[in-house]
Formats: sequence, C-alpha cells, structure tokens
Amino acid sequence: MAAVTAPPTRTSPVSVRPLRRRPSVGRVAAWVVMAAIVLVTLLPFYWILRTALSSNTALAAHPGDPLPVDFTTGGFERALGLQSTKEAIAQGGAAGGLKFWRYLINSVVVSTLITVCQIFCSAMAAYAFARLRWRGRDKVFGLFLAGLMVPTIFTLLPNFVLIKQLGLIDNLLGIALPTMFMTPFAVFFLRQFFMNVPREVEEAALLDGAGKVRIFFRVMLPMASTPILTLGVLTYITSWNDYFWPLMVSYSDSSRVLTVALAIFRAQTPQTGYDWSGLMAATLIAALPMLLLFGVFARRIVSTISFTGVK
Amino acid sequence: MRIRTVVALTGALTLSLVSGCAQGGAAGSGAGSVTYWLWDANQLPAYQACAQGFERENPGLDVKITQMGWADYWTKLTASFIAGTQPDVFTDHIQKFGQFADLDVLEPLDDLGIDDSAYQAGLGANWIGQDGHRYGAPKDWDTVALFYNKKLTEAAGLTADRLNSLSWNPKGGGTFEKAIAHLTVDRDGRRGDEPGFDKNHVKVYGLATGGAGDSDGQTTWSPFTASAGWNYTDKARWGDSYAYDSKTFQSVIDWYFGLAKKGYLAPYTDYTDGANPANAQVASGRAATAFDGAWMISTYYGTKGLDVGTAVTPTGPSGKRATMMNGLADSVTKNARNKEGAKKWVKYLASDECQKTVGGYGIVFPATPDGTAAAVAAYRKKGIDVSAFTEPVTDKRHARTFSFPVTDYAADVYALMRPAMQDVFANGAPVSGLTKTNDQINFILGQ
Repeated sequence: MAAVTAPPTRTSPVSVRPLRRRPSVGRVAAWVVMAAIVLVTLLPFYWILRTALSSNTALAAHPGDPLPVDFTTGGFERALGLQSTKEAIAQGGAAGGLKFWRYLINSVVVSTLITVCQIFCSAMAAYAFARLRWRGRDKVFGLFLAGLMVPTIFTLLPNFVLIKQLGLIDNLLGIALPTMFMTPFAVFFLRQFFMNVPREVEEAALLDGAGKVRIFFRVMLPMASTPILTLGVLTYITSWNDYFWPLMVSYSDSSRVLTVALAIFRAQTPQTGYDWSGLMAATLIAALPMLLLFGVFARRIVSTISFTGVK
Repeated sequence: MRIRTVVALTGALTLSLVSGCAQGGAAGSGAGSVTYWLWDANQLPAYQACAQGFERENPGLDVKITQMGWADYWTKLTASFIAGTQPDVFTDHIQKFGQFADLDVLEPLDDLGIDDSAYQAGLGANWIGQDGHRYGAPKDWDTVALFYNKKLTEAAGLTADRLNSLSWNPKGGGTFEKAIAHLTVDRDGRRGDEPGFDKNHVKVYGLATGGAGDSDGQTTWSPFTASAGWNYTDKARWGDSYAYDSKTFQSVIDWYFGLAKKGYLAPYTDYTDGANPANAQVASGRAATAFDGAWMISTYYGTKGLDVGTAVTPTGPSGKRATMMNGLADSVTKNARNKEGAKKWVKYLASDECQKTVGGYGIVFPATPDGTAAAVAAYRKKGIDVSAFTEPVTDKRHARTFSFPVTDYAADVYALMRPAMQDVFANGAPVSGLTKTNDQINFILGQ
C-alpha cells in the first residue's frame, strides 16, 4: 500500500529504491510470538551449556546465575575421561568417571545394527504385505498390526528370558536383538509407500524378465529410498535414546550404551550432590550426533512425511 | 551390487558381533574372580586399593568391581537375582536387608567368625536375620549432625559452643528453636524472634528442609523423635509393630513441621531431591543450617565460597541427644559363582587391614575402631573436624545412637509413610492421621 501512495515525482536514487512495506500489527505480533517460542525452546539448551561450563562446587551457591558460575571446562574434561580421579573428586565430580568413547562406540554399533537390519527386514515384509498375493495375507497383516497395541513392558520379561537363554546378556547383540528384525510400525510405514507405487512399474519390470526378488531389490527399494531414509533416521534416534532395555541387559562397560552410562554417571553421587556440570557436558556431547543427523536430514524427513501423508 | 554389499556388510557385522561379543558370559565372572558391586562412586578408589591388597594375599583370585548409582543399583540387583546374573558380593543396606532375607537370596556368613565386638557398637548385630544367621559383615557407618553456615551464625552472634549445647522440647522448642528463629531473616532484615517478622517473605531460613522424611526421617525429624525417647518399633530389630501412632511421635512431628508454619524451617516446596537438597539450600544462602549425614562432609566443605561448621544434634526431653547411626555391610549372594572366593573377599573387606585402607581416603567412617580413627585422621588432614559425628558414638552418657528400623515389608512401610508424611508437611494434614497409616502398616506386618 505504501509503495502505491508514494509520490513518483523525483527521479533521485532514493525514490527508485523500492519502499519497504510497513509491517502490520498482526505480522509484528506473529514475529514476537515466534521469537518467544524459539527463545523458550532454546533456553533449556542454553541452560545445559551454562551448567556444563560451571564449576560443580560453586553451582549450588549461585543457582539462578544466568552466566556460567566460576567458568571452567572441567565438566567436559570429566565427561570425556580426561580428568584423573583425584581432580574429578576435587571438582565435585564422581570417582567412577565416564569412558565416553567406549560408550559412544557401543551406542553407534547398537543403533547402526538395529537400523540397518530393521529397515532391510521391514522393507521385505512390507513388500510382501503390499505387493505379493498370498492366502490370508490381510488377516496376517491385521494380526501383525495388533502387535502395535501391545505395550513394550509386556514383552520385556519374555524377551529378557530369551536373551538370557541365548547367552547374550551383557552383549551388544543382546541389546539390539529384540528390535533388530522388525517393528510393526516400520512395516506399516513402508507398506503404505509400496501400496502407492503404480502397478505399471512392476509390470514393466516383469515384462523385462525380472523376478520378484529382482523387482524388490532393483525397482522397489531404490524407489523407496526417501521413506527408507526417514524411517532410518527415526529408527536410529529411537534406538540411540532407548534406555530401559539396554539397562536390563548390560552389566559392564563392554556393553554399556550412552544413555545407560549417563544415567549411571548421574546416579554416582546422589547422596553427596549430583555432578551437574559433568552430567550436562556429557549430555551435550551425547546429543550432538543426533542433532547433526537431524540437521542434515531434517528437510527430507519433513517432505517424506508430508508426501506419504498426502497420498 | 550396492544392495549385495549392504547385505554382505550386515551379515558380516552380525556374525562378528555374535562371535566376538558372545564370549563375555553373564556378569563376567570366572573361576578365579570375584564380582563385587557397590553404589558409591567416591568409595571406588578406596575399594580398588583394598582389592589390590586382597589379590596380593590370595594369588589366583581377582576382584572385579562394578559400580552403579544408588537408584539403578537396587533395581538391577533385584532383577539380577531373578535372572541369575547376580554378583558374588554386594554392598548391602539395612533398609533393603529385610527384603533380601525374605527373598532368601543371601548366603549365611556364620563360618566367617565375625566378632561383633571388633566393630563399633550395634553395627554387627543388625545383620543377624530372624533365623539367627548372619548375612552381612560390617563395612562402614554414618551419623547425622547439624551443618551451619559460619558467616550467618556469626552474624547472628551464635558461637560454636552455643550451637553444640542446644536443647529442645516439643512444647516451647527450647534453645534450639530460639537459635533457628534468630537465624531466620525476612526480606526487610528482621530476624525470626524480632517483632514485625514477616514469616511469609523469608530470605534466609534458620533450618533447611530435607523433605518430609518418609518412614525414617533420617536427616529430618529423627534426631528429635529419638531424643524424645521414641522408637520406631516394639523391638530393636525385627519388630512386630511400628509406633507411628504414639503420642510422643505425633507431638514431635507436629512441633517439627510447625517450625515451617512459623517460618523458621524452609517449606516443603523448597526441597527437591537432587536439584535443591539441604546442602544446596545452605550453599545458596537460602538456609543457615541443615541436618545432614556424615556422607555429605566432603560436599559441604568442598563448596566454594561456603565457610561451614558442624555441631551435634540438640539435647531432647530424654536428657540425651540422638543421631541415627546407619551401618552398611557386605553380603554374599546365595547363588554366587565363586562362593569360596566371595567369602574370603568379604572377610578381607571386614578386616582391620582393609578398613584402615578405606579410612585413609577420608570419605566414610569404617566399622572397626582403627578404621574409624584412620578416617578421622584423614579428615583432620584436610582441615575438617568431624567430632560432631563421632562424639555421639563414643559419648554414651550424653548421646544416643539408633538404627534404621529393621523389619519385614520395609518397602511397604516406606510406600505408606512417604505420602502420609508429605501430607502432614506439605498440606498441613493433622498428625493424628498417622495413626491410621500406622494401623495399615501393622496390618501388613501381621500377615
């Protein structure tokens, strides 16, 4: 509106420059609300960083200080295992320490194993449910979907007994196994996609002499790369964050994943005051890979979800 | 080709994990090793030093120590008994002992020849089960005392001597109530015992809150209930009934939480387990004093910018002061893979030699007198006077020590008393309501 009413009398460079639209009240209000939401969302992250950079022995004395209290990188050093036991205790930390890299590798191995195997197996199952014709297919699928309704806690004990009988307690494979092959959600998610692939594509491949296996690997899987990527990222994050099952199965450092290690690190000094700065530093480092993963793939995930949703 | 590579890689990874990691065995114990669990990370270095001494004396045996935080420790231990992945030896707590005795998962230790008189009084006998067998070898102990912020007590004109000779009673509160009232300051700078004091806008509380104290009140109300002559149960251990319905108990609780109504004790809402415990309230200047356990000594004294002192608990109507003396023990599990080695290790843990080593680290008070002396010396070396914690143990004339209640169904007692006490403290529920809770508890105990 403002641009239209501007008098076009002079031809000075000032008048040539496009005039800025005056922001409306609604727009300003929207920006303020958005900025507030962003601030509120980011505040916990800032507080984690502020606590991580504080000295643990001074934190309690200044609980509300917005800046790091008695600035130190000791928390990060403890989290990365760079501090001696003596130093750690002197700084209000625990003597147990955190074998960060060991736990990080364990987490990566477990999450990768679960993600790769689960997606591969779920894709095959989804293909069978979506595109192959066999007797009782829909009934089996219904039964399978019913699996979604069973709370995880019900399967905890049978799973534990099975893993124990397999001799996989305190073993990374024991942690991965229950969710390694498939989950009803993954199969359901991929089935939805496969059902929407035009039949002509498959028929064209059949005419070219391809069998079902070949069609699956050469046609369907490459076409499903985007939903597979989405599912992969979601599965990776879920297995990375899983806590209770790894806690039950892992007994020593050799199979301890990051979530469990962090909880144990937190509980090391409950009676003598938590090592908040060490814990926050470790949490920040542990969350970093997931933030990176999400940062890289966020756009594709959103577009896939909207894509499958619209269809 | 790419797909084949993915499949091949997945297969290889799975195979390598199966073959590579599956060797470990459940808890990693072998014929020559003893697995040992403990929860306190700060004690880990001390016990590692003990393990080295043990291994020197017993060639062919090695101790594998696993440390887990308090909360996970008990969940995991209980699960491990069911799954058969339990350690050979673990650090046991008196509150949990009844449950484990009930589950029948502990190995009797009668043949170790543990002599109760070799340890501080009362520490050995607690670990005798109802069947007369011993299930734990004494390890260490702690008591409760009053920590205070020296800057604030000096400003209030309270000397260390005066803080060490306070007394209280449930009617007028005695010199203890006077002291904490004087230490309380409202936002206008008026003290709790001055006219015009605004109890609704308190800047510094006289006494920090440690919550409602659940069923034991270890660092909250127990110094008062015990110095009033009250006992948790009808017998020293394995009692048949609790006494939360006693008039003495209820009058003390009424007075104690009444301190919060007067504005001297920090309110229940100030307390958060973990985020804002009593020590944090003292450190931040929100409270001037706090009852806390010996396990907190290093935390209080290590807090930057806090000049702290300790005083004994106040003398009560019984004419004595009282403090809970809690002792831990090491227990052997019934299905231990290496029972012989486990018993040897427990015997070594309970020996003067190991306890002196642990005492030297200045983190806990070991159960043997020599071990305790080593700890006192180690604290002294750090410039910390711990007599407020040790005196009640030796001075039987003026002080009384008492234990956690040892009974069956401890978890149920806790589950019933926790909300009941919180109701009294947080919601101002009448203390007489505890009689009903006590009836419920005694009903369970009578099963």
